[in-house]
Order: sequence, then structure tokens, then C-alpha cells
Amino acid sequence: MSDLAYLTIAEAAELLRAKKLSPVEYAKALIDRVEKHDKKLNAFIRFTPDKALDDAKRAEAEIVRGEWRGPLHGVPYALKDIVDYAGLPTTAHSKILKDNVAASDAVVTQKLRAAGGVFMGKLSTHEFATGGPCFDLPWPPARNPWNREHFTGGSSSGSGAATAAGFVPAAIGTDTGGSIRNPATMCGVVGMKGTYGLVSRRGVVPLAFSLDHVGPLTRTVRDNALMLDLIAGHDALDPGSVNIACGAYTAELGAGVKGLRIGVIRHFYTRDMEGDAEMVAGIEAGLKVLSGLGAKVQEVQTAPLGEYAACNRTILASEAYAIHEKWLQERPQDYASLTRERFLSGAFVRAADYINATRVRLKMTNAFHALFSDVDVIVTASAMDPACRIDDAEELDRTYARQARAPFNVTGSPALSVPIGFSRAGLPLGMQIVGKPFSEALIYRVAHAYEQATPWGEKHPSLGN
Amino acid sequence: MANDITLEDVRRMAADVGLTRLTDQHLQELLRATKTAQARRASMPKSDLTPANESAHVFRLDKRSDR
Repeated sequence: MSDLAYLTIAEAAELLRAKKLSPVEYAKALIDRVEKHDKKLNAFIRFTPDKALDDAKRAEAEIVRGEWRGPLHGVPYALKDIVDYAGLPTTAHSKILKDNVAASDAVVTQKLRAAGGVFMGKLSTHEFATGGPCFDLPWPPARNPWNREHFTGGSSSGSGAATAAGFVPAAIGTDTGGSIRNPATMCGVVGMKGTYGLVSRRGVVPLAFSLDHVGPLTRTVRDNALMLDLIAGHDALDPGSVNIACGAYTAELGAGVKGLRIGVIRHFYTRDMEGDAEMVAGIEAGLKVLSGLGAKVQEVQTAPLGEYAACNRTILASEAYAIHEKWLQERPQDYASLTRERFLSGAFVRAADYINATRVRLKMTNAFHALFSDVDVIVTASAMDPACRIDDAEELDRTYARQARAPFNVTGSPALSVPIGFSRAGLPLGMQIVGKPFSEALIYRVAHAYEQATPWGEKHPSLGN
Repeated sequence: MANDITLEDVRRMAADVGLTRLTDQHLQELLRATKTAQARRASMPKSDLTPANESAHVFRLDKRSDR
């Protein structure tokens, strides 16, 4: 097998099912790769090669017996370390939870284990899925495989790094203000935050209950759809979970975009914020590709980014503070400085401000969803800038809020980041494709058409010797 | 809350809500964080809200609730 590190789930599944690839051989190749290269990237916070080999041996025996469970059977995956895996610590990359051993699996973990996936370990995150890369925590921050001096994006930092580096073909991330889509953009992979309530959050450390989403990061659109097929579904014990028929996310792949109406929210990255020139050029080139494939592109307008950001951050700060208040009272010194400051921003938010933010939220959401009477999907920026240096605190602070992802946590809309090329410095660029609630299959259809028409998915970072 | 909030203001306010273990560095963080939160409040487009605009958080009951 030429390069097992960059097999897609779809390719691996075909080989595994046909018994042309052994799950054990596949797992060993990725274990070797992690052991060789992760010292440079810190994608894993807890690497579990023994568990991976156990899972792989079990998968191999089942496949040999003709008991193929589906596309993830015998395929490696990893979890952001805020997602519970029974018997292992869920640390949230924080000193606060470093001894917090999960008693049971998160729902998403249960589903991936039931699908026969090969568990490789727990991945780095920004502390409690917020803040940024910190050097004052028990574990170092993940680094970008395209240039290890640069930031991965976050907060699902290890999920982006591990997927891009060929350590796993799929990882689970979470997204409260853009934390799946940001590392997807900055690491050059595909990241989907489905509709709010589509994927159970039970067993995942919360950041802000009404904004939290769980979703997959993969290297291809098809793989992402396959993963969402596995993890979506109603969970009666998750109060935000939606009881709706879901699945078949690969069903529209290959249908193309001819005749589809694609809206573009250009004011997010030209007027509300001025996006980096290379990022903007990449998005505009992406729109030309979609137009060339037969889509009808038209500009649409929504509320300014600043209003969405104020709404998202007021709700996030208030809900997060409620969760962290006790720890902030009793052991404030155990947070990284950056995380503590983010959480403290909720300390004095007035109840009326929080409630008004949720009232504004509903109004903005209804107005945003009304746009879909004229368009089928919407394209806009994800990040305004490529990844900055990981040691440049000033630039990290400047670029932290320069994003257009939080609006879709406010509206709960499904939103995906897809790679659109590279900056002159060789850092990935990405754009977002957003849809109306529960239109994930259509978003995948558009992203897949774009992906198939461009060469970006064929490029992989060089990790050196 | 005044825009010219000081470190001494946040020290007192922090104590009132049980944040009694914050160091001076933590209080500086709290001061910056509070100013950030105030700026967010100013950016919230709430002037168009009418009394009929409900919260996005709706109290729901389902069949399991009568158990």
C-alpha cells in the first residue's frame, strides 16, 4: 500500500471490506506515523496505541468472518479531549480536569465504537474549548502541520492537526463560536458543524449549552458526510437534541451544482471586516469555480458581523461563566491566563443583557433563515486571515475575533469549512458553505462539487524526517 | 456599569460574587474582560426589540414531563 497515512475513509473502507487491507496493518502504519511525528505537532494529548491495536484486531476478526459493520469498520479515528471515552481522562486540556476519568462513553463515542472504528486517542484542544494556544498548561498546544511555527486554529486544534498530518482520517471536534471550522480552515481540512441539535452533546464537556455543536473533521467532503451519517441522530437525554429523520449525507454527492442558487455574504469579509487579500482572493476564486460549474451566484445581505459577534459572545460568556463559576471562585490559578480572562468576561453580564442576547438571537435567526427563500446555500469567509505564528501573542489576539463563523452558532445553521488553496507562505485557506437547518446533504453536495473541480485535497503537508 | 471602571471597582465587585481568590494579575484580567463585555453590550442590536420578541430559550414540556 503506497501511503496509508492519506487514505480516505471511503478508500480504506473499500480495501478493508475486500480484505485487501488489514485493519491491523493500517493501524500500525498510523501508530508509527504518530510516534515518529507527533513530538513536533502535539496533536495528541493522550495517544492510545494499545487500544487502537485491540480495536483493529477485533475489526479484522469480524471482517474476516464477513461481519462488516460499515465504512468506519477498521478505520482509525480520534476524539477532541472534551469528549468522553470510558476509562480515560477527559481533561479538556486543563489542570482543572486532569484527573477526570470518564465513567462512560459520550454518545458520539458510543456510535463510533459501534461502527467498528479504531480509537487512536484523545486530541489537544484549547483549554475547555476556548481561549487559544497556551504555554501555561500541563500539555503544550498543537501546532500546524503545514508550518509548525504557526497556529492550528481552534479550539479543536489537535483534531485539525491530526487529520491534516495523516495521523487519522477523521477526528471529532466541537464548535461553539467556530471551533470545528477554524482548525479546518487553518489546517486545510474539511470541518462540519451540523444543525444545532443534530449530533448529541451528551458526554462532551460543555462550553455554552445553547451554542455547542459536535462534528467531524476529515480530509475529504465524502469522508465528512460518512462520519456525520454515523454520529447524527436523536438523543432523548440531550435537551438540545432534535428528533428528526437524518442521515444519507452522501446521497447528493456527485449531483453537481448546475442550477443551484448560491448566495454570497460578501459584506462579512469586505465591509464588516477587511479580510486578508489572499483569503478574499481565494473565496472569490472559489465562487468562480462554483459559477463555472453552473451555479447561479448572487450577493445576499445579513446583519453585520459585529452584531452576530456581540450576540454570540454575550451568550457564550454568560453560559460558560455559569459552568465555571465554582472553579473560578475556588481555583482560579489553575486556568491558563487566556482562558481565565475569557471566562471572567461573563462574571458581570447582567441578566437582562443575557436575555436580550437570546431575544436578538431569535430575531437574527429568523431573518437569516428567510434568506433561503432566494438561495439554496450561502458562501462566505470562515477566517479572515491564514494562521498566524503560534508564539505571536499580539497577532493571535488581533486575529481571534476576525472570523465569520460565530453567526452560524447564533443561528444554529449547518456550516462547513472547505479548503480553497494556500497563501504564498504555504498556509491553508478556506471558505464556509452554510445552509438552512438540516440541509447538510446539500452543503456536502456543493462542497464536493467544488472539491472535485480543484486540486487542493491532493496536497499534504511534509512532516520531515 | 460605568465605562471608566477601575481595578478597585472590579476587586470589590469580584468579592461580592465570591471571586475572593483572584490575584492582582487575575483582577487585571477581570478588568479587561469586563470592559470587553461592556463593549459587546453596546454592540447588541436591541433597540428594535419589541415586548413580543421572545427569548430563544423557550420552556418546553413533552410527554415525559408528567412522570
